[in-house]
Amino acid sequence: MFKTVSLALVLSMAVPLLTGCWDRLELEERAVVLGVSIDVAGEEAEAEESEVSHVEGSLPLPDHAMVRVGVQIALPGRIPLGPGESGGGKGDSSQTVWVIDVVGHSIDDAFMNLQQQVSSKLFFGHLRVIVISEALARRGMDNVNDYFRRNAEVRRMAWMIVSKGKALDLMKAAPKLERVPTLYLMSTLDEGVKLGKFPEDYIGIYWSHSSKKGQEGFLPYVQMKKEQNVEVSGLAYFRSDKMVGATQPIEIAGYLGLKGINPAGYRSFINVANNSFVSAATQRRSSIKLEIRNGVPHFRIEVALEVNIEEKIKQEAHITPEVIRLIQQKQEKNSTLFYENMLKKTQEKGSDIFGFGERVRAKKPGYWNSEIKTKEAWQRMYKDVTFDIVVAVNVRRIGAKAL
Amino acid sequence: MEEKRQITAIQTAAIIVSTIIGVGVLPLPLFAVRAGDSAAPLVTLLGMLLAICGLALIAWLGMRFPNQSIIQYSEAIIGKIPAWLGSLLIIVFFAVLTSLAAREFGEVVVTSVLKRTPVEVTVIVMLLLAAISTRKNITTFAYLHHFYFPLLLFPGILIVFLSLKNADVINLQPAFTTGSPGIWAGVLTIAALFQGSFILTMVIPAMRRPERAMIASMGGLALAGGLYVAIVAAAVSVFGAEEIKKLLWPTLELAKATSLPANVLERLDAAFLAVWVTAVFTTLLSSHFLTVRATAHLFRMDDHKLFSFFLLPVVFVMAMLPQNIVQMYDIIEIVGRFGLSITILYPGLLLLISIFRKKRGDVS
Repeated sequence: MFKTVSLALVLSMAVPLLTGCWDRLELEERAVVLGVSIDVAGEEAEAEESEVSHVEGSLPLPDHAMVRVGVQIALPGRIPLGPGESGGGKGDSSQTVWVIDVVGHSIDDAFMNLQQQVSSKLFFGHLRVIVISEALARRGMDNVNDYFRRNAEVRRMAWMIVSKGKALDLMKAAPKLERVPTLYLMSTLDEGVKLGKFPEDYIGIYWSHSSKKGQEGFLPYVQMKKEQNVEVSGLAYFRSDKMVGATQPIEIAGYLGLKGINPAGYRSFINVANNSFVSAATQRRSSIKLEIRNGVPHFRIEVALEVNIEEKIKQEAHITPEVIRLIQQKQEKNSTLFYENMLKKTQEKGSDIFGFGERVRAKKPGYWNSEIKTKEAWQRMYKDVTFDIVVAVNVRRIGAKAL
Repeated sequence: MEEKRQITAIQTAAIIVSTIIGVGVLPLPLFAVRAGDSAAPLVTLLGMLLAICGLALIAWLGMRFPNQSIIQYSEAIIGKIPAWLGSLLIIVFFAVLTSLAAREFGEVVVTSVLKRTPVEVTVIVMLLLAAISTRKNITTFAYLHHFYFPLLLFPGILIVFLSLKNADVINLQPAFTTGSPGIWAGVLTIAALFQGSFILTMVIPAMRRPERAMIASMGGLALAGGLYVAIVAAAVSVFGAEEIKKLLWPTLELAKATSLPANVLERLDAAFLAVWVTAVFTTLLSSHFLTVRATAHLFRMDDHKLFSFFLLPVVFVMAMLPQNIVQMYDIIEIVGRFGLSITILYPGLLLLISIFRKKRGDVS
């Protein structure tokens, strides 16, 4: 009897602790952050900021330039669920989300300034997109990466993107396709991956790449167009934590081709037989072989592309086996040059986004340990690396037209 | 004293597996990568082999003395006073191990799930649960482990498989390291994560057929070790060695980066943590059970229930001693490596002397 009672007592003491009610937080009390934008703050920022996490004298400021952080907070109850209500944005993003921007001396400082102004507790578990302005990316990403890596709520499958121009504008934009603006940004990129327009490059993948000794990170480089739609306009590539350049949109295809990532989704013009054809790649394969030549890594890259003919500009010149052969030859020549130029561009900046250095580290550990060893040494070495590129193009289909 | 001998070989293996899989899986890839970079799976494998040697010694001893635990037969082998000292070390060590596991659990929960709950509360709840469960006899103890064992193993394997979608083999190369000096320290740290398997010495006297202790314990350890190697290999191939060095709990990040197909669950960390809480519970259960049962044997008492709650405050206070999480992990590494001398060297010594002095337990 005594045993039962004492056990019941112990259990009744433990149960309230086990339910997790200590951390209970009602949905309405949570400010669900869907998107974050980070810009470099201008001269006016210092005056605008209140002293939330620092005070003159006792808690001095860090030696770090200021940032402007914008957030999209979901308005509970405003996001229509299910197909019943009419879809699409209503002209501006104020319908479903609340966009607020603050300044701060660091990312956390900015969020604390924001928390001071927003009643509910900021919650980052549903953060899907982080937009960084190009100016900030060029200044250095260490602070941004550190904050979001340290925050356990942030998912590694979120997207981080670099915007040409102000990042805050992307938070305020209201594209017509989605009810929630950040979801539109996200689906632009997710669909890009499915259509073969963009490699998978979630924030976690970017972090892994930039941590590696023989590889640099890259992020999608986007630009807002006049209908508040978003164009993926290249890869923003980094050297350590600083952005050093951006590619053209078609050069994303260069990255995908060199890495052999499928499905393929880019088209290109081929001018042969006094006519112009548009070929659409469907499959890519690549193999990279490494050898050490004269003390410098040398890579032989073989890319194989399967293409379909999608368009012909002029009527003459029927598609015959002879023309197809010409198209293949021409595209092989063009692509080789195209890949070489792209590699050269990244070499000039010392930014190995392809991870050639990782191959050296993995396949030739002896050479790596004696000659390279550190990330900085590989950044220097990458400029001297040589390449042989061989492209094989096979035209497979010509669409539903016979000629 | 004589309890019914009911525990089967499979239950013994299950006890070993669910005892080993515990709080240590979260930082495991970090320990391995710090020691061996891309050769981290190899480091883990070496650690597991070392642990297998240690467990084989205990199984061998247990089969020589099938009716006794290490506390009891050590007296027969090396005499009362030295054995008493050795047993005291075992008890203290496992009490410390329990407290550190509980504290590590509390730190993970406070950092990633229940941010406003004081760490004391999480720790004491977990310790209470373990203490209540240790008041049962060893057969119930075996059933508890047997029940939870598939719940721990299969989600672990599932996460490893699902995460392989993002894996890149280049991250695992070179698979052999050029023998940096840090590697052996790492092997010891990882072998220390397997120390819970020492519980075998308490299980053998209750096994139906003690002669199968060796095969059961080897099977159990190979299973748990295999999962550990797989987790390290998956984490390294997904993140790369350099990224793991920046993550405190790479296995948790691995679950975060993994999604169930068709977007059923976009991040598995919540599901993983739920499983992991169970894993921590079974580990705490075993190490606390070992502590209280060893204490009972030391004082020649039939019943260990008394000590379940008696030792609890001590364990709790010890759990609260580390000042911060960095210090806690330093202590865990040091205590773990030191513990190897208790869980591997000491049984090894006992075995040697028992063979030398031709001591054997009576076979009933």
